[in-house]
Amino acid sequence: MERKPEWLKVRYNQQAVEEVAQLLGELKLNTVCREANCPNLGECYRRHTATFMILGSACTRNCRFCDVTSGRPLPPDPEEPENVAIAARRLGLRHVVLTCPTRDDLPDGGAEQFARTIRAIRRECPGTTVETLISDMKMNTDALDVVIAAHPEVLNHNVETVRELQAAVRPQADYHRSLDVLRYCRDKDETLLIKTGFMVGLGETEEQIEALMDDALAAGVDILTIGQYLQPSPAHYPLARYATPEDFARYRAAALAKGFRYVASAPLARSSYKAWEALEGIHDLH
Amino acid sequence: MEKQLSLPRLRAEMTSGVLCAWLKEEGEPVAAGEPLYEIETDKVVNQIEAPEPGVLKKQLREEGDELTPGAPVAILETE
Repeated sequence: MERKPEWLKVRYNQQAVEEVAQLLGELKLNTVCREANCPNLGECYRRHTATFMILGSACTRNCRFCDVTSGRPLPPDPEEPENVAIAARRLGLRHVVLTCPTRDDLPDGGAEQFARTIRAIRRECPGTTVETLISDMKMNTDALDVVIAAHPEVLNHNVETVRELQAAVRPQADYHRSLDVLRYCRDKDETLLIKTGFMVGLGETEEQIEALMDDALAAGVDILTIGQYLQPSPAHYPLARYATPEDFARYRAAALAKGFRYVASAPLARSSYKAWEALEGIHDLH
Repeated sequence: MEKQLSLPRLRAEMTSGVLCAWLKEEGEPVAAGEPLYEIETDKVVNQIEAPEPGVLKKQLREEGDELTPGAPVAILETE
């Protein structure tokens, strides 16, 4: 195993992790924190925050960077929306992030389950904001309309990597389709905050990163997240490099200069890590 | 009272990790939540926090050792 750079250190408190894990287990809920083996799990669970992964834990795609298990998913759990809302209330979350494995097996890609969950959170936790990190839903506009109509405060869909690496890194997805999803949601509801994110360390060039930023901005993205790719196992897409904290600071400055309204760029930044800070940061601008 | 501390299962599919550094010497006091040692896994280096205050009585493993989840790592002397 290659030695990790100094900046890839995280804290882990077993007691705090077990407390949150127990609550989620009682409510039969998954988190992407656990399913994707997120390095920030210890820190987030300690602060009693988590990103719920609705629609099961098995993904119908098999992206080469991703740690979520590929497999045959189960039908959506009808109790899940309410259980997410109960967990959000019990954890005292002021901002809830919902994501899902890609559900190409469902005609609506899971859109209705997102909408039900948003509505359950609105009932159970008044005043709590919601962010949805959706799949591309095969660019099914009927499905996207269902999510948009439930009106999350933030709608996120990750492009994950530069255009040139898409086929190798996420072969069942498509760069332009992902941008189309973002653009469609932007145009459909201008009050939504649109968010996307990508990883560095997969072998992309500086020029390709610049182009990605330009494309995302042109698609109407408000919030951008940039984080280090961490290779989950030797079987996953090979790590090309560790970008330094100075690199991430440079990417952030470049993205802000281009016009993004909020940029989270750090080695351990993930799309939902401290997600409420983006929302607060933007609202402070008004 | 002596309490044996074991390596937590840091990730669901974790099979092992490398003890890369002790952050406390034997005989040194440690507060609850203070990092005791570092474990390197596939993605990151994890600083494992002490579950309660005490004195690190014994380091059971050495830096460089590969550990599996549940492996005894330290003895903490608590009140």
